Amino acid sequence: MRTVFLASLRTHLRRHVAAVVAVATAVAFVVVVGVLTAGARAALIERLGAPYRNADLVVSPVGWPASHMKPEDVIAFAERLGENASAIGRASLPLRAGGRRIPEAGVGPISTVERWRWQPLESGRFAVRGGEAVADVHFALANDVSIGDRLVIGEGAAAAAVRVVGLVESPSPPAQADVYVTWPQLLRWRDRLHLGSVAVRGEAGTLPPGGKAQSPEAFAEERLTAVQNQVDSVGVMLLLFAGVAVFVAAVVVTNTFAILFAQRLRDFALLRCVGATRRQVARSVRLEAAAVGTFASLAGAVAGAALGYGLIAAIDLVAPDTPVVAAAPPPSWLLGGVAVGLVVTVAAAWSPTRRVLRVSPLAALRPDVAAGPRTGVGRARAALAVLPAAAGFALLAAAVMQHGVALMLAGGGALFAGVLLLGPVLVPRLIRLPIGLFGPTGRLAAENAARNPRRTATTAAALLVGVTLTTAALTGMATWRAALDEHIGGRHPIDLALTSAKGPVGADVLDRVRRTPGVERAIAVPGAVARVSGLDGPFPVVAAPAAAEVARDGGAFAQVEPGTIKIDFEAFRSGPGLRPGEQVTVRVGERQARLRVAAGSGWGPAGVVAPQTLAALTGTPEPHAVWVRAAPGADPARLGGDLDELADPIGATIENGLRTWESLDRQLSVLSWSVLGLLAVAIVIALIGVANTLGLSVLERVREHALLRALGLTRAGLRRTLAIEALLLSATATLLGTVLGVGFAWSGYETVIRPALREAAFHIPWPSLGAVVLATTLAGLLAAVLPARRAARVTPAAGLSFD
Amino acid sequence: MPGDATARPYERGPYRPVPQVDTATAVRRAEQGTVAAAARGLTKTYGLGDVRVPALRGVDLDLPRGRFTAIMGPSGSGKSTLMHCLAGLDRPDGGTVAVAGIELTSLDDDALTIFRREHVGFVFQAFNLLPMLTAAENILLPLELGGQRVDDAARERARMLAEILGVADRLGHRPAELSGGQQQRVAIARALITRPDLLFADEPTGNLDSATSTEVLDHLRRSAHELGQTVVMVTHDRDAAAYADHVVTMRDGRIV
Repeated sequence: MRTVFLASLRTHLRRHVAAVVAVATAVAFVVVVGVLTAGARAALIERLGAPYRNADLVVSPVGWPASHMKPEDVIAFAERLGENASAIGRASLPLRAGGRRIPEAGVGPISTVERWRWQPLESGRFAVRGGEAVADVHFALANDVSIGDRLVIGEGAAAAAVRVVGLVESPSPPAQADVYVTWPQLLRWRDRLHLGSVAVRGEAGTLPPGGKAQSPEAFAEERLTAVQNQVDSVGVMLLLFAGVAVFVAAVVVTNTFAILFAQRLRDFALLRCVGATRRQVARSVRLEAAAVGTFASLAGAVAGAALGYGLIAAIDLVAPDTPVVAAAPPPSWLLGGVAVGLVVTVAAAWSPTRRVLRVSPLAALRPDVAAGPRTGVGRARAALAVLPAAAGFALLAAAVMQHGVALMLAGGGALFAGVLLLGPVLVPRLIRLPIGLFGPTGRLAAENAARNPRRTATTAAALLVGVTLTTAALTGMATWRAALDEHIGGRHPIDLALTSAKGPVGADVLDRVRRTPGVERAIAVPGAVARVSGLDGPFPVVAAPAAAEVARDGGAFAQVEPGTIKIDFEAFRSGPGLRPGEQVTVRVGERQARLRVAAGSGWGPAGVVAPQTLAALTGTPEPHAVWVRAAPGADPARLGGDLDELADPIGATIENGLRTWESLDRQLSVLSWSVLGLLAVAIVIALIGVANTLGLSVLERVREHALLRALGLTRAGLRRTLAIEALLLSATATLLGTVLGVGFAWSGYETVIRPALREAAFHIPWPSLGAVVLATTLAGLLAAVLPARRAARVTPAAGLSFD
Repeated sequence: MPGDATARPYERGPYRPVPQVDTATAVRRAEQGTVAAAARGLTKTYGLGDVRVPALRGVDLDLPRGRFTAIMGPSGSGKSTLMHCLAGLDRPDGGTVAVAGIELTSLDDDALTIFRREHVGFVFQAFNLLPMLTAAENILLPLELGGQRVDDAARERARMLAEILGVADRLGHRPAELSGGQQQRVAIARALITRPDLLFADEPTGNLDSATSTEVLDHLRRSAHELGQTVVMVTHDRDAAAYADHVVTMRDGRIV
């Protein structure tokens, strides 16, 4: 049998190509996830270990994280070792930057010794003496701190003024602080200081009580477990997608083997005729599957490793801040990936093999046992498939009514399983629907596509899985996104507000704001500077009937009842000292009004009142604010800075709501694109499956195609027939998947989102869905190119004598 | 289309066993003896180098119009290759083939396909019918492939041919539900539906028992004699060849 096994492997090698590609893709996916996870882990260790890079020992609490060392002991220990030690930790202190008060800022040490300075300098210079500080770049950006600024750290007697002399990166999360000062300066707040570890060079001597000394590597490992969970959970999420890809690959491989074995049924029968036992045939066939699986898995592992390291290099190039480094290939992932590929291939070949074993030796003697023209679908199977589908529907309905997530998942799973089982009944019928659309070639194509219901359904199922998940994810994310937009729109209605509590904002300022790059629209908001009882200093009061032009919430926040003043509570760092519902006296010059306070957020330090209220307060309203709607894609930090330059000379302030928008926007798009990209792998594997099924069917139909060509079908006509067949198959699977996906997303919306966010509307992202349907269908068409070319190349005479 | 299509007898209603010889048939019969297809100096070699197998070594042949010709020979004699070249299914390496005044060797693949569609009908030994189409759909397939609208007249003609061939009650069935003889008769009906200049039958009785073979051969002969159809049959079976008007015998790529 070895001869037979090797010979059939050799002969049918080309027919295994698609199966190999499908399995290799899935394995590569798993390995890429492994390489990236390992890279992220290594990067974390590297960053975590940055403060201890030049240390021989790290001293840390014995029972970390449950216990601490006393700061006084650590300080004494560090002082004793002098330059041979660097204590790591921080104090949480109030901080004043410009006019702002930040109630809790992390203040950490920066060493004056080169070897202990783990913070890479971004600009300026390091702090080397008392009265100097370096700020973390992200903190500086968020709080408009720049080099040369004066910061006041601490309060009361402990307050100290420092000048920012440089900006640094803080790559090590546990040691991260917002502002770093020299060690002696930091000791000013020694009673507020928390010191978690000390990096030591040389001998440590007597350890502080409750402390232990270990190597920097051991210390990093210990600390990593805490952060590791994040990386692992991302890894698990990625593995879920890999699981989808593996499942789709399994479907494709099962189909491949089913078709291959059906085509070779006669060979197997002949083998049985000449004396091979059932077991020998089975062994040979399973060995073949194992050989294919091994090759595919190894190829996939190599490709995955290459792709993974390529991705890391690309990430380094595009986003150097992302914590990923090229780490040694993780053996468990590599082995796991290869094992998964091998197991999936062999398992996928199992059920087709059973059919091979049932073949009787006599089949070799009958003239025509090649895959029967139609494999019937038992009524029992159809009835069996209706059950889970119906149960799934019922469960989903129950989930929607009772908001039960578990019910929804069970229902969705059952319904999907039902649809997959119903495939052989459902898919051929759906494929025949547009039968009249493409003329006689289309009719032939539809009949061809539907002739082998089980094969067609399996091919469609692979695509169905990918498309359903993709469209469900797209719709779910669009809905979630719309809900969030609305929610955040209410909290940050104005992207950027320039508010002046002093003089009016001149027309020239408005003009320059409008000409600032990144500004889409800007309106001047009329008002007057008032005195409000309970608030310090002058406070602008404005009325903005035109807010809808720029507001994210359609201007709803600015529609204020007469007799009410709406105040942006978040514009006051420590609260305005007012409570919603309270009555305040608002005085403009001689006039005054009693108004009720309402709370809001997102437009800066100004009170919004109704136009008639404003008219009662002043006869000559002047612009005291400019509200800006940023253009899509505008950089919030730069736009804020540009507007600040306009605001500063006239004593106005800038409220930057765009920053919140932007970070949300970026996170959501990263999430959407990642999910799409990950699911796309499954779709690609499924499309390989379409090409595969078609390619193998073409081999089976050589005689038929020759007959059609003899009867007068042109080469182009034959190619068209096959293209339409692929098109019908992929379009049917895609449309069915889209309907299911949107349906699942809707039940998810009704079950999960609506109970949480009552006003959220279900949002169908038509353009994205259209793009998915179009892309998948066209890719299906692409999948037909090679099989169609191969089919059309055969001359009718050669095809007729083909055996 | 060559010849006056409207004058052909198929449109005169169902075939009757004892035909009234009408004028058109008389005209066709008068044309018997003229040539439907001609081959000159045909050569064809398969394979390359050491495994070169010459299948045709210079064949000259005239096929008389309206007659039933059998090309006979043992397997490997080149008879199938000759038929493939005559029918425009394959290209000879050398020589010329003319059918209905058309020089085949000068046609490209698409033109050759359209030539087959319009001028030639085929009956093969097996795999004659597309398994996913019904008998009626199979019969009408050449018209559909030609892009013609399948109108009521065409359907009526298909039904009529099915009736002549005795498969009218099987039209709604798929090939798998038909016996071998029924499949071959459906194939003959399909070959006749376009009123071809030439009907090729390649071992049409190879898979049939003797009673069914007789029936199929009888249909082929009557197509020639009573309907004026030019029929060429390739066979290795002497008994089958005996039904033909002429027998051309081939051996080792030559007519003997």
